[in-house]
Amino acid sequence: MDSDVDLQSLMARYQQGDAEAAAALVHRLSPQLHRFFLVKVVSRRHADDLLQETWMRIHQVRHTYRAGQPVLPWLYAIARNIRVDHYRKAYRAERRELQMEAGYDIREAPPDRSSQTPNLEELLATLPESQREVIAMLKVSGMSLEEVARATRSSVGSVKQKAHRAYDKLRKGLASIGMAKARGGGPL
Amino acid sequence: MKDRDIDDILKRVAEGARDVDPALLDHVTDSMRSSLRPVRPIPAPSILASAVALICVIVALAGAMLLKPYGIQKMNALEIGLIFPVLGILIWIASALCVSEVIPGSRRPVAPWSLSLSGCLALSVVFALLFSDYRTERFVSQGMTCLTAGLLHAIPVSVASVWVLSRGFALNSVAGGLAKGTLAGLAGVTMLELHCPNFEAPHVMVWHIAVLAVSGVVGGLMGWTVRAYRSQ
Repeated sequence: MDSDVDLQSLMARYQQGDAEAAAALVHRLSPQLHRFFLVKVVSRRHADDLLQETWMRIHQVRHTYRAGQPVLPWLYAIARNIRVDHYRKAYRAERRELQMEAGYDIREAPPDRSSQTPNLEELLATLPESQREVIAMLKVSGMSLEEVARATRSSVGSVKQKAHRAYDKLRKGLASIGMAKARGGGPL
Repeated sequence: MKDRDIDDILKRVAEGARDVDPALLDHVTDSMRSSLRPVRPIPAPSILASAVALICVIVALAGAMLLKPYGIQKMNALEIGLIFPVLGILIWIASALCVSEVIPGSRRPVAPWSLSLSGCLALSVVFALLFSDYRTERFVSQGMTCLTAGLLHAIPVSVASVWVLSRGFALNSVAGGLAKGTLAGLAGVTMLELHCPNFEAPHVMVWHIAVLAVSGVVGGLMGWTVRAYRSQ
């Protein structure tokens, strides 16, 4: 809660034209936004592009933030919009090329098989789009159910249901990874 | 495996995710700094919703005064007491929805398609309860007149609501278009209830409600066109 109050004060200063507040927001929120894009688009290069585009859009529409309101739902609602726009444009313009690039990018950054825990993208890639988004916001970005509901323009009940279903899938997925690694003698 | 174990794994993998390139963050900060100036925050949602609802009511009243308020003059107290409060509630919800569609991260009172559908259903139930004359004299010709008049009154409301909410940022132009179309349609229906003296149930239930449905669909289609244009 304190963290959000801090973000709210930074947003208010940013709206007043404070360059330091703008820089503080960018440095503080970019890592979680970047992770949000990474679990959605896989490619790091695309995540970088989307992050940059999101901040430019935030800059254009910063007056739409209302003082006293939570910052993260506002921010993620815009980030989702950028991501959807990106997919729509990419789908229309270069469907085939995008698929090839995505395939190339995955090979470019292979998951670290030697680590103790599975790779984030690899772990969440098994989930459907809407569940992956909810888990990314709840568990990777640390947002509350209410905040996720606002950002995704759905109800808290719907967010809970998606999270529950995602956990069921993750439980099964992690169990199968565990069994496979146990059979292979690798670390869990 | 328990939920807490999955929480721990997700927490660990999130913490272990690669950092953002500092050069990228510097580039973003520099770009923002170059055009940084104070901005005036968008007015409170309640103020915007009141403004949009007021426009809707003013257009409906002005239209009815211009065409003469034969409808409300013919209504009894029960009809007035049931139809107009329902329209008032729908107008307020539609106004709040239009505003929430242009403020990212705001609470959405109801999904636009759901409001459009439930508005049509609520008005159908009210009209079915109040009007029991099931004759259908000059059904199409009178109906087309009402549909045209209702839609003509929806146009200024939709234009004015777009203007009032122009400082906002529409995340989903289809949903925003549907919401504005529904609000504009409600202005058309309100004008018809004030003006139209034809209380035949089929006429009111088909043609008056069609104003709401058609206006919502047109709004959604316009939103879809805007989205398609921007995606190119």
